[in-house]
Amino acid sequence: MLRFLGKRLVAMLVTMLAVSALVFLVLEVSPGSVATKVLGPYSSPEQRQLWLQQHGYTAPLALRYVRWLDRMWRGDFGESTRFKTPVHAVLWPRLANTALLGLSTFTILVPLALTLGVLAGMRAGSGLDRLISLGSILTTSTPEFASAVLLSTLFVFRLAWLPGTSSMTDGFAWQELVLPTAVLVLADTGYVTRMTRASMVEVMHTAYIRTAVLKGLPWPVVLLKHALRNALITPFTVVMLQINWLLSGVIVVEFFFAYKGFGALLLEASLNQDIYLIEACTLVAVAVAVGTQTLADLGHLYLQPRLRTTGQSGSGAP
Amino acid sequence: MRWHRPRALHPAVPALQAQLHAGQLDRRAFLRTITLLGVRASVAYAMAGLLPTRTGMAQAQSKGNMGGNLRCSMRVKPMPDPAIFDWGEKSNQARHILEYLTITGRDNITRPYLAESWEVSADLKVWTFKLRQGVRWSNGDILNADDVVYNFTRWLDPRIGSSNLGLFDAMVSTSDTGRKEKDGQPILSKSLTTGAVEKIDEATVRLHLNRPVLAIPENLYHYPCAIVHRRFDDMGADFSKHPIGTGAYRLQTFVVGEKCVLTKRPASEYWGPEAYLESITYVDHGDDPAAHLAALASRQVDMVHEVGVESLPTIARLPHVVVQEVITSQTGVARMQVTQKPFDDLRVRQAVQLCVDQRRLLDLAHRGKGEPAEHHHVAASQPDYAPLPPLRQDHARARQLLAEAGYPNGLTLSLALGAADTWHVTLVQAFKEMCAPAGITLQLNVMPGPSYWEVWDKVPFGFTGWTHRPLGVMTLELGYRSGVPWNESKYANPAFDHALDLAAATLDVQERRKHMASVQRILQHDAVIAQPFWRSIFSATTRQVQGYATHPSLYHHFNGVWLG
Repeated sequence: MLRFLGKRLVAMLVTMLAVSALVFLVLEVSPGSVATKVLGPYSSPEQRQLWLQQHGYTAPLALRYVRWLDRMWRGDFGESTRFKTPVHAVLWPRLANTALLGLSTFTILVPLALTLGVLAGMRAGSGLDRLISLGSILTTSTPEFASAVLLSTLFVFRLAWLPGTSSMTDGFAWQELVLPTAVLVLADTGYVTRMTRASMVEVMHTAYIRTAVLKGLPWPVVLLKHALRNALITPFTVVMLQINWLLSGVIVVEFFFAYKGFGALLLEASLNQDIYLIEACTLVAVAVAVGTQTLADLGHLYLQPRLRTTGQSGSGAP
Repeated sequence: MRWHRPRALHPAVPALQAQLHAGQLDRRAFLRTITLLGVRASVAYAMAGLLPTRTGMAQAQSKGNMGGNLRCSMRVKPMPDPAIFDWGEKSNQARHILEYLTITGRDNITRPYLAESWEVSADLKVWTFKLRQGVRWSNGDILNADDVVYNFTRWLDPRIGSSNLGLFDAMVSTSDTGRKEKDGQPILSKSLTTGAVEKIDEATVRLHLNRPVLAIPENLYHYPCAIVHRRFDDMGADFSKHPIGTGAYRLQTFVVGEKCVLTKRPASEYWGPEAYLESITYVDHGDDPAAHLAALASRQVDMVHEVGVESLPTIARLPHVVVQEVITSQTGVARMQVTQKPFDDLRVRQAVQLCVDQRRLLDLAHRGKGEPAEHHHVAASQPDYAPLPPLRQDHARARQLLAEAGYPNGLTLSLALGAADTWHVTLVQAFKEMCAPAGITLQLNVMPGPSYWEVWDKVPFGFTGWTHRPLGVMTLELGYRSGVPWNESKYANPAFDHALDLAAATLDVQERRKHMASVQRILQHDAVIAQPFWRSIFSATTRQVQGYATHPSLYHHFNGVWLG
């Protein structure tokens, strides 16, 4: 177990290092370009040269990378040119906002999708299964911008039940979370439901379920004790991967509802060529992706005890 | 009661009044001209036989409700230095904290503001501004002439990079920097002429121009002309960090991209009538117009700074919302850099112009809301406009010009533009189709709004939005005079500059119109821009918002606004 953990942590660090090198090379390899982005297009060559000297951009590339890495590691991401403030001052609150949106989404999405998936997979081919599958396909194939417009038209413009934007200007307001959460739940529930269903169908056809039924165990016991635990291994991994999707995939939803989250920040940073903010957002997104992947592996290990002895994860091979 | 020495009328005023009575001068031009010459607006209206109109500015005489928070949906942008403001939104955030020497109302009449009055010499070259007494900065200092001198000195310092350098061209001198352009031409620099701004006493400032200019008071309400404290640079030259102002409000919260909250200063601290609103909150809902509308529909905000023409049908269905339309000199121009190929050839530029059908573009891109333009950036709604013969689309002539310029098979041009304004994109798509019959293949380089503003004055062919200004000459001074910072087409024509000097210096309205005809004709002939139309603008408020009237420049001034 410890060996496995160690291996995962090393892999995580190597991935982060590789990504950081890539980010550095893409965004900082040309010092002149960095100076122009920071000082603006109207800066004079003299101003840019002075800035480069003051900020150590005349040093060799490798040394600059090590220094840059050290700053990033200490959480010193530089100053945002768009927001005129240190990057961390805008990054962490935005990340927290997206975490809040993610939490509210997952609170509804996970139980809903798992329940629907189990119900559909329990009796594959039944009327209920077909109904749930049809609903899942419909919601999954509707893009977020379309469902956002539909829900907004209905609940904001027609019925006037809900606020149309989610800027939380006067502090937290749960009403402002309703529409963005609804759009995200609609977009993702179908996918997780389908994955759960597929896993459930597979488990329901295994020998140990047949044995349990033939032994005369009550149906709820067969389902909850034997089927569900095994059927949830795949959905668990899928749900963990949805955290990454939420982090950067919510750009459309955050833009539409003017929600001040991480996705909207990434978009704004890109549009404004805010180089230090882009770097910080990219590294944070990668850290979250790698972190959730490690968590998924650990969860996998917990749900499949035999992996603990083999020290492998994910494959399920003997 | 303080005694005021009656000021002598400018010698040109009686003549202008005679022209008005003889029907040679319309009332609008009369009012504008004599107020610029220092006659108070109320007196000017009386001389014209009119009652003062509502200006939408600081009309606190009406009885309104005290208190409340006005929430306005508008982008919240960084505002470090007012002298280099490049967006009206920035000035709106600052406008309730910082004030201007003059104020130009929505009726295009310029009134005293921090300057209590002004006088101008008969030759329009010496302007004397008397400052209002008892105006206190929010740090307790008294506003005085040093503040005004300091601001002029900053604006006209080329190191600051203020667009005011073009606006107050009559106060600057050109010098050789000693550096050379790539083509070997010397790089010139403009800066404040020594002695051009003079402190007479603690409350009086005199401007000495090197040529006559009538529009100085109007220029002083150009949005980067907000008066900052005389120690602005000492305090770090960052207004959002040290928001010292003379206005009725102070900055409480400022988060770029999120919100800007202003709270009222105690009435005893402010020199003017007490403002009604307790606070003003600007909420940033991003670039998506749908978000602004949704916020208004669900009453999360009381007003939207600007409503796009494409949103009008939706907003008309909201019973609690009022839309205000204003005819303006806001426009967009497809400008060609005359220093870059192929636009260094006049025939190519003229061919591009000949492809334009203004009326059709107005219908297609702006639902017909506005007026066709004439490729010279002076609007018929501006008092200095001179009518020119009508233009017409002529593809045959355009093809002929291209052939003469060495492009018998046509040519391909790349037009850069920002995507932030929906109508820009719609317009250039229609423009592209209009160019095709002349053999011009237009490739559209649509980029995010902020990315375009990085290169707006660098790309050879770009479509740029220009905001409203009360006078045609103001825009021409800013954007077309040789060597000024906002001259995005790099146009440099001494004949044009000279004609502009004459127009700006002429008091007689009929005479000035003749000079303006010359200015407009030169610019139109030189085909620096292809200009489709002047657009109406729209703002929207809930019915609760009282006392607000949309300014043609979308400037906010909420001292006289209250919530019903």
